Amino acid sequence: MQQFSVYKMGPEINIGGIDLSFTNASLFMVISAAIILLFLFVGTKEKKIIPGKVQLIAEMFYTFVAKMISDTAGSKAKPYFPFIFSLFMFVLFCNMVGMLPYSFTVTSHIIVTLIMALFIFIAVTIIGFTKHGFKYLSIFVPSGVPAVLLPLITVIEIISYLSRPVSLSVRLFANMMAGHTMLKVFGGFVISLGLLGGWLPLSFSVALTGLEILVAFLQAYVFAILTCIYLNDALNLHH
Amino acid sequence: MTIPEDFKTRLKIAKSKIEKKLQSDSEKKGSFLGSAFKLGTELVAAVAVGTIIGFILDSWFDTKPWLIIIFFFLGTAAGILNVIKTANRMQEEE
Repeated sequence: MQQFSVYKMGPEINIGGIDLSFTNASLFMVISAAIILLFLFVGTKEKKIIPGKVQLIAEMFYTFVAKMISDTAGSKAKPYFPFIFSLFMFVLFCNMVGMLPYSFTVTSHIIVTLIMALFIFIAVTIIGFTKHGFKYLSIFVPSGVPAVLLPLITVIEIISYLSRPVSLSVRLFANMMAGHTMLKVFGGFVISLGLLGGWLPLSFSVALTGLEILVAFLQAYVFAILTCIYLNDALNLHH
Repeated sequence: MTIPEDFKTRLKIAKSKIEKKLQSDSEKKGSFLGSAFKLGTELVAAVAVGTIIGFILDSWFDTKPWLIIIFFFLGTAAGILNVIKTANRMQEEE
C-alpha cells in the first residue's frame, strides 16, 4: 500500500556500502522528535506554580512515566528514567503523527520496532550481567524444579527469554499496521459503495480512528511498561 | 514568592482527591487493557522463536526435520509459560 512505502528524499548517501539516504521514514522520525523537543521546551520554559496548559501536559507525561517506572521496577530503576521517557515519548509521537492524513507511520515498519526492541533486549542483558555477573544466568533456572525436568525447563526459559524482543517488536508493528490497513479498507468501501451505501463504512471509519488513537497510546504504554518489566528482571534478581 | 495559606490547604485537598481517583479507576483500566493487548503476541512470538531456533540448528547439524519439530513444541511450551507469567503479574497487580 502506498502509505507504507519508503522512498528516498534528496541525494543518495552511500557510506561504506551501506545505504544511508534520507527517506520519508527518516523525515517523520525527525518530525516526531522535533515535536517532542518543541513541546517539552515550551512546557518547561516558564515554571509556574499554577501551570499553564502545555506545562500541565508536559508534567503529566513526566509523572506518568515516573510512576510507571517506580510501580514496576522499583527505585533501583530511577537512573534509567531518561531512557524510558524518551522511548515512550518517541513511540507515542511516532504513532500519533502517523494518525494524521498523508503522514507516514514510522512504527508500522518492523525494522524500526525490531531495532528498538533489540536495543532494549541487549541493553537489559548487559545491565543484568554487569549488576549480577554470572549469577544473572540463574533467571533461566527457576527454583523448585525436579532435577529430571531441569534441562527441559532451562531450554524453555531460554526460548522464552529470546522471544522477548520478537514479541515486543511484533506487537507494536502489527497493531500499527493492522490499524492503518483497516482504516484504508473501510475508506475504500466508502468510495466503492458511493453516495448511497457509503455512510455505514464512513461511520465505521470515524469510530476506528478513535480506536486507533487509543491503540497508538496503549501500544506506546505497553512498549514502555514491558521495558520496565524487563529492566526489573535484570535489576532485582529474585528466584 | 509567597503562597497564601488557604491556597495551600486547598491544593492539598485537591491533590489527595486526584490521587484517590487515579488509583481507583482510570489507571487500573489502562493497565488491564494494556495487558489484554499483550497476551496474544506473547504466545505467538515464543512459538516463532522456538521454530526459528530449531530451523537454524537443523541446518547446522543436518538433522532435518527432527530439531525443528522438537523446538516447535519447546517454543509452544515457552509461549504458554510467557502467558502464565503475564497472567500471574496481572493478578499480583490486582
